[in-house]
Amino acid sequence: MRTPDLIRSTPFRLSLALALAIVLATASVFALVYLELSTSDVARLRVVLVGEAAIGVGENEDQLRRALELRLTRDLRRLDYVALFDKDGRLAFGNITKLPEIPVDGEAHFVAGARQTDAEGTDEPALFVASRRADGGVLLLGRSLIEVYAIRDIVLRALLTGLVPTTLLSLAIGAFFAWRASLRLALVHETIEKIMRGDLDARLPVGGADDDIGKVTRAVNLMLDELVRLLNQLKSAGDNIAHDLRTPLAVMRAKLERGLAQDSTNEDLRLAAVDSLGQLDRAMATVTALMRISAIENGLRASAFREIDLASICVDLFDFYEPLARSKSIEMSFDAPAAAPMRGDAELMREAIANLIDNAIKFTPSGGTVRLEVDKGPGPPIVRVTDSGPGVAPGDRDKIFRRFYRGANEKETAGQGIGLSIAKTIAGLHGLELTVEDSRFGASFRLAKAGLAATA
Amino acid sequence: MTKDQSARRASVLLAEDEPELAEEIEAELLRRGYQVEVSEAREAALQAARAGRGSILILDRMLHGEDGLTIVEVLRKEGIRIPVLVISALSSIDQRIQGLKAGGDDYLVKPFAMEELAARVEALLRRLDDVRTTMLRVGSLEMDLVDRTVRRNGREIDLLPREFKLLEYFVRHPNQIVTRAMLLEDVWNYTFLPQTNVVDVHISNLRRKLDGRGEPPLIANVRGVGFTLHADA
Repeated sequence: MRTPDLIRSTPFRLSLALALAIVLATASVFALVYLELSTSDVARLRVVLVGEAAIGVGENEDQLRRALELRLTRDLRRLDYVALFDKDGRLAFGNITKLPEIPVDGEAHFVAGARQTDAEGTDEPALFVASRRADGGVLLLGRSLIEVYAIRDIVLRALLTGLVPTTLLSLAIGAFFAWRASLRLALVHETIEKIMRGDLDARLPVGGADDDIGKVTRAVNLMLDELVRLLNQLKSAGDNIAHDLRTPLAVMRAKLERGLAQDSTNEDLRLAAVDSLGQLDRAMATVTALMRISAIENGLRASAFREIDLASICVDLFDFYEPLARSKSIEMSFDAPAAAPMRGDAELMREAIANLIDNAIKFTPSGGTVRLEVDKGPGPPIVRVTDSGPGVAPGDRDKIFRRFYRGANEKETAGQGIGLSIAKTIAGLHGLELTVEDSRFGASFRLAKAGLAATA
Repeated sequence: MTKDQSARRASVLLAEDEPELAEEIEAELLRRGYQVEVSEAREAALQAARAGRGSILILDRMLHGEDGLTIVEVLRKEGIRIPVLVISALSSIDQRIQGLKAGGDDYLVKPFAMEELAARVEALLRRLDDVRTTMLRVGSLEMDLVDRTVRRNGREIDLLPREFKLLEYFVRHPNQIVTRAMLLEDVWNYTFLPQTNVVDVHISNLRRKLDGRGEPPLIANVRGVGFTLHADA
C-alpha cells in the first residue's frame, strides 16, 4: 500500500488521533507536576523566612548577631542572605551590601537580581524578608532561589524528553496497527474487485479474528453464497422456462403451418387453431405461474405478516380437498391441535399447503391414503402432508423443488410441476423449510422451522 | 329474461393502452352483443365514466405508465358507482388487494382467456345489489338463506355448508357462465389455481344432490370455461 493511501486510511487516522490524545494527556500531567513542584518549594521558603525574621526581630543584638553568624557558617552552599542595618540604613553586619528595594514589613518578597557581597558571577533570583527592629534597625533575611529554579529546569527538561518518545511510540504503534488493518482491507478490496470482475466464487479472507471486520467479512461471504445460489436458481429456472415455453410454441408453430398448407381444408385450419389454443394455454399457464413465483419473491416481503392460525387454515383445506380425494378413492385424514398460531401471510400459507395436498392427491394411486397433520413445534407449527404414492427417489429430492421440475416418470401427470416450487418459495418467505422424507408408504412433505431436525 | 337482455345490450367502457389487446377485447365484447367504447388514456376513460356512457368499466392497471387505479379512486370519491373490472399484469396478492381496496369490483390478471373476461363482465353487470334477500328462487329451486334449507320442486335437499355456499353463488348468477377461478375467489376466498380438478369434484357432488330422478341437470358444464346454472331447468 502506498504512503498517501496509508495516511488516508481510517485506521491510520484513528491511531493519529489516539497519539495526539496520549500526548495531550501526558503533557497536561507534566504541566501539573511542574507547577506543583515550583510553587510548593517557593511557598515553603516564604513561610520559613517570614517565621525566622519574626523571631529575629525580637531578640537582642548580641543574640541576633550570633545567630546570624551561625547561620552564615552553616550555609555551605552560600544560598542564605543575612544582614543587619542600623537605623540610618548602614550595614552593621551581613553578606549583602545594601537593602534591596522591598518594603520593610516582615513579609517575603521576590527580588529578581540579588548578589552576596563577596560572590562572583551574576545576580540571582531570591526571596527577601525585611523587618524593622525595636531600635529602628532593619533585619534582612533572604534565600537564593537559584537551586529551586535549577531543580525546576531539570524536571522540565526531564518531562519534555519523556514526551518525545511517548509521542513517537504511540505514533509508531498506531501506524503499525493501521498498516495491519490496511493490509486486511487491501486484501478485502482486492477480492471485491475480483468478484466485481465476475469471479463469483471468490470469498473475502476471514481469518481467525472474531472482531468487527471479521464479522462483516463473514456476513458478506454469506450474502455472496446466497447471491450465487439465487443466480444459479435463476439460470436453471431460465433454462427450464425456455424449455417449457419452447415446446408448446414449437408444437403450435407446426400445427399452424400445417393448417395453412396449400392442400388443407378450412376444417384442418380450424382444428389447427383449436390445438394451438390448447398449446397457448399451456404456455400461458407457465407464464402465469412464473409471475406468481416472482411476485411472491419480490412483492410480499413488504406486506405485513400477522398472527394466523394454521389449524383453521388446514381445516378449510381439508374440507376443500377431501371430496377430491374421495372421488379418487383415496382416504384423506386430518389431525391438528385446536389452534396452531404463527406469524405469517394466511393466503400464502394456504397456497403453500394447498399445493402440497394437491401434489399428494395427484401422485397417490386410487385406494391409497393422504394424511394432513399439524403439530405444535418449537417455534412455528409443523405441517406434514404424507401420501402413499410412489415416493420421491433420493436423487430427486432437491430437484423436485426447482421450478418446473417433474420426476422422470411423471410426464403423463397433469400440472406444471410448479406447485412445489411455489410452496418452497412461500416457506422460505416465512423462515420455514420445505423438506421431503420417505414415509413408510410414500412421500412425506414437511413444512417446519428452517434447520429443525427431521425427527422433530 | 328481460334482465338478461338488458345486460346484453349494456355498453362497456374499455380503458386499455395496448391497441392490439384493446382491439381483441372490443371484438370479443361486440361479438357478445355489448357496445364498446375504447379509451386509450386516463383522462378519456374518466370523462366517459363521468358522462355515464357505460354500465361497466374495464380498466387496465397501467395506462401509459400511469396507475389506472387512480381513476377508480376518483370515480368513487365522486360517488360514481359503475362496476370496475381491473385487468393487470401485476399478479401478486398485494396488487390484487390494492386493486379491490381502491374501489375495483374484480381483478383479472393478464394473460387471461376471453371467456374468463366475458364471464366476469357479465357477473359484474348482473350482480344482485340486494345482498340482504333471505329467499332466493331460480326456476324450480328455492334457497332459504336464514334456515339454510334448499328445495327443488318442493323436495328438500340436504347440503353440507360448503355445498350450500357453492349453490348460493350459482343461484345469485343464474344463466351466467361461472369460471373455476371465480368460484375459487368468491366461494372459497382462494386466490390460487389448484392443479387438480378439485372444483369440478365439488360441482359434481353438488349436482348429484340437486338433480332428482327425471329432472334436467341444473348446473351444466361449459366446456373449457366453467359452469352455468340453467334457471329454466
